[in-house]
Amino acid sequence: MPFVRFVGFSVIRAWQGFWRNAMMSLAATATVVLMLVLLAGLFVVLSGMDSGLKFIESKVAVTARLRDNLSTTDRDALLAYARSLPGVRQVTYVSPEMAMERLRQAYADRGQKLETGGAKISLYASIEVALIGPSHAGSVSDALLDPAHRSQVAQITTKQSEYDKLVGIINVIRTVGIIALVLVGLTVLFMIVNTIRIAVYARAGEIEIMRLVGASDSFIRWPFILEGILCGLIGAIVAVVMLAIVWEPIQPILVSVFQMPTAVSRQFLATLSALLFAVGLGVGAIGSWISVRSNLAAVI
Amino acid sequence: MTTTLPRPTAAPATASTLAEPVISMVDVGVTYPNGKVALADVSVAIAPGEYVFLVGASGAGKTTFIRLLIRDQLPTSGRVVVAGKDLLKLRRGQVPKLRRRIGIVFQDFRLLPNKTAYENVAFALEVTGASSATVRRRVPQLLNLVGLHEHDHHLPTQLSGGEQQRVAIARALVHDPAILIADEPTGNLDPVTSWEIIQLLIQINELGTTVLMATHNQEIVNAMRRRVLALEHGTLVRDEAGAAYEREY
Repeated sequence: MPFVRFVGFSVIRAWQGFWRNAMMSLAATATVVLMLVLLAGLFVVLSGMDSGLKFIESKVAVTARLRDNLSTTDRDALLAYARSLPGVRQVTYVSPEMAMERLRQAYADRGQKLETGGAKISLYASIEVALIGPSHAGSVSDALLDPAHRSQVAQITTKQSEYDKLVGIINVIRTVGIIALVLVGLTVLFMIVNTIRIAVYARAGEIEIMRLVGASDSFIRWPFILEGILCGLIGAIVAVVMLAIVWEPIQPILVSVFQMPTAVSRQFLATLSALLFAVGLGVGAIGSWISVRSNLAAVI
Repeated sequence: MTTTLPRPTAAPATASTLAEPVISMVDVGVTYPNGKVALADVSVAIAPGEYVFLVGASGAGKTTFIRLLIRDQLPTSGRVVVAGKDLLKLRRGQVPKLRRRIGIVFQDFRLLPNKTAYENVAFALEVTGASSATVRRRVPQLLNLVGLHEHDHHLPTQLSGGEQQRVAIARALVHDPAILIADEPTGNLDPVTSWEIIQLLIQINELGTTVLMATHNQEIVNAMRRRVLALEHGTLVRDEAGAAYEREY
């Protein structure tokens, strides 16, 4: 029961303190909202790009176009060689007929029919080398183009360049986003530290009385710490409500642009909301803790 | 202007010199970092139930003396024992418990202006984790003791100086302290009101609480004829029972 009374006392005092110093408290809360909205935006973009990256990773494969008139023996030897390379998951031979069938199917998928105008089209035979990971694309390509196999392989194509480009963009966004977040985070900390500092000085008289009548340090400190946490909590609630409002328009973008499945995006919303609450409460607690540690000692 | 105070009803001395002192200072010295000596070799023992005046000019060391007792400050030498606790050995976490054994009132009352008389007294209980049942039981008792039960809903600004000091005294008594320290409790009050406060302090002392009152009010000290501790430039120059404000011999 004493602990319950302590918690009840601290929460009530924190709530009263928040509204007694309403202007500063609301300003600090607004900065928390700003930071969390920025964090949510960064999280959405980076998660979407990571999801897109995974999609591309799964598609990164090395396709080796074979030279015409390659004997079956040479072709089988090349397939065996490709399978023996490190980083290779699967090797599939695609005959000219199979390649043609795929082309027809691709047209059919788009609701079109492949028209050749009577001309006979002959596609190249190829082998498709599925990789364990995109990082193996370079070594596998080099191995298939080495002088011993140059007479069998005409050309190599991969999606490595697209992959590398996307990784580069993600790294830039991540770096810029993290720098912006840190700057906004520091601003939020500064605001909360100042809000609590003003609260501590405004209530110096009360603190003095509390000390003299034998209030423990916990009773003196925790209402101020909870006041900072309250700024973070209210900021997180506002940010999550804003996120819920804009979620409907955002969801199709996540699904289509970033190849993010709908089921994952619902889980994603829950994860993001939890993250916003954790960061909001954490920043509020850290800011007020810093302020109480540095300012309360000066008052008492 | 000097006003003659009515003489107090003689209060029987309840102090027992044989009892364990509730306040004990042995060779206590306080020297500030700038070299200023606030207290030098002060040794004093106050028994439970005594009513003691602490007198001396401004800067004589009275405030330092009081700050030592509530462990707001530590001595640079010597030993201070209050309510059985050696304050030099007392851990920081134990200080609040010590302060609940000591009530303190000030010249400027130090009431919270946005709280009523009831709330000011209740606050002192709430901040030490008292249950609401305890608050509901104890606060009216104390306001009744100080004669303010009919003013419990008044803000400090709606109370006279004497009434505000009564609220401060009620607040100081919430934890039923062994010691009540009154630092110039009549300094802001007119003579008649001052005497009412003194009567209240006597009443509290008669209930067994040790009272240590720092004052400049010669008439009160001379009228009461209790034990007097006189400080001069940080030195205890007089410790005399049944004494007047000034040395009489």
